Amino acid sequence: MAEINIDGVTKRFGTFTAVQDMDIRFADGEVACLLGPSGCGKTTLMRMIAGLEHPTSGRILFGDRDVTALPTHARNVGMVFQYPVMYPTLSVAENIALPLKQDRSLSAAERDLRVAEMLDVLDMREHGGSFIDELDSGNRQKVAVGRAIARRSDIVLFDEPTTNVEVNAKLQLIRAIKTVIQRTRQTIVYVTHDQTEAMTLADRIALMYGGKIIQYDRPDVLYNQPLTEFGGWFLGNPGMNFVPATVANGQISAPILAEPLPAPANLPSQGAIKIGIRPEWIAMHDTPQPGSVEGTLADQTVGIAGRYLTRVSFGDVDVKVKTDGRPPAPIGGRVHLVPRRGRITLYADGNRLA
Amino acid sequence: MNGRGFRQHLYYAALWLVALFFFAPVAWIVLSSFKTREQILAVPPKLIFVPTLANYTDLLSRQGLLLQVFNSIFLSVVAVCVAVVVSFLAAFCFSRFKPKGTDFLMFLLLSIRMLPGPAVILPVYLMYAGFGWKDNHFWLVMFYAMFSIPFSVWILKGFLDGVSVRFDETGLVNGGSWFHVIFRVVMPQVKPGLIAAFIFNMIFVWNEFLFNFIIGGVSTQNIPYALAVGTYSDGGVNWTFIASMTTIYVIPPILFIYFFQKYLLVGMTFGTVRGEV
Repeated sequence: MAEINIDGVTKRFGTFTAVQDMDIRFADGEVACLLGPSGCGKTTLMRMIAGLEHPTSGRILFGDRDVTALPTHARNVGMVFQYPVMYPTLSVAENIALPLKQDRSLSAAERDLRVAEMLDVLDMREHGGSFIDELDSGNRQKVAVGRAIARRSDIVLFDEPTTNVEVNAKLQLIRAIKTVIQRTRQTIVYVTHDQTEAMTLADRIALMYGGKIIQYDRPDVLYNQPLTEFGGWFLGNPGMNFVPATVANGQISAPILAEPLPAPANLPSQGAIKIGIRPEWIAMHDTPQPGSVEGTLADQTVGIAGRYLTRVSFGDVDVKVKTDGRPPAPIGGRVHLVPRRGRITLYADGNRLA
Repeated sequence: MNGRGFRQHLYYAALWLVALFFFAPVAWIVLSSFKTREQILAVPPKLIFVPTLANYTDLLSRQGLLLQVFNSIFLSVVAVCVAVVVSFLAAFCFSRFKPKGTDFLMFLLLSIRMLPGPAVILPVYLMYAGFGWKDNHFWLVMFYAMFSIPFSVWILKGFLDGVSVRFDETGLVNGGSWFHVIFRVVMPQVKPGLIAAFIFNMIFVWNEFLFNFIIGGVSTQNIPYALAVGTYSDGGVNWTFIASMTTIYVIPPILFIYFFQKYLLVGMTFGTVRGEV
């Protein structure tokens, strides 16, 4: 059993609170990504799980086992760091084998088998005898991944493993990590500030901000129904549009709505809210359509795969829109936008209402 | 022949000249060990002569020679091993756990090393005499170890600072104890530093005469002691004894330095040449 249970954990460094009264459970055998901007406390949380830092207050449990006071080596976790740490005096195979030598129940033959298997999975068989000078940073990090996984500890932690790897090697490394974690039944916590990585690898993503977990959900839920404005803004490239809207008499009206929307019951009957909608959930046409609103194309840039990212202006409100091809009008021209009704989410004071 | 090639030759010629100049006394004493007493003192010096091993057979028949050679080897090897082990652990502690006052302690350690031996010989002698530690291998080893530790800690701390803490953390997280981290993960990476510390201290203890003479005794006498005592033992200066004994005496350091010269260079940079992680 290797469920990780963070129970009311707070960590302060002097006057700075890195992690604030956190409660979260990482389920057994799941891949959880801690995602958030720099300084949100995700690395601190991970280091506390590993035992490299100790909580100021609160408890950390692995299953039923309270590990808060246990030293690092007694916790049975593996960890991959931000920097590719490969022991320079040992070859690749020896690096992976070294932690296995701690386990006296493991025979030499079994150990060799595990190392060979790991080299296979990492696609590094021909590098088994290589030393650190012969490897690029991506391969060094792969060695670190192999070393952490081969022990078959209950829990494996990844602390932004791709940050210090060259761009070319990065994709390969992520693929290797994905292959490796799909094969294991270990509980994995993966820290990253790269949302693509989190989306690719995670079963669930914990979105963190300011020492707190904002939302812990499946990647698609987190993306489609962010609980906070921050979540909507942080995920997606670019993030969600937040268009000012007003509620009056049970009706919501906004510049991007052709006709008012009926307000859900939990909304205040009067006041200002925001409509959240992602740039790809708005269709752009050159002629008026049912339910469309007219705006001015203010800006456009070419994105990946022939997609265009545009900015459409409605007086003092700008809306980001993604189009599949070239926008139907030149810059400064008139375009007609149709927001997908079912995708609209509503926010007030930074939190989602509906 | 261009100017640069010529300059290069000149440069090498100068280097050879300087090297030969400094090597001349060593060559003289080594050559002398194969000469008779008359040949050694002949003016002008005899460069061509029939080598004789008589000096060595004489030397081997001397009383206590084996004891002196054994003591020299035993004292230096054991003392330096003790010093390197203690220094490595101390340096690891200074480097990783940074106890309060680390900087001051490191300064203190270095200043102990700067202290000339004769300045402390009297208190050390009184202490050894008072406790009855004189002429005892164990206590002499302890003294040499104590004298070697400060410098070794300095060298090794430089090397250990160059090994990133990330290695420690990786070792710990991957299930290793501190023992594992210190000896399996970190130690292999500072091997050049360990060897450098070993050689530097080895040379110090091997050359040590003063303390051996004062706080040692008959049973702990080493080769420098033998040289000092044996030189005048039969009235005049015993040149054949000096020459043959010195030749034996300089062989181990020369071999040592020859085989480990690259580590000596590393040691002199105090581990400031660091790898990055």
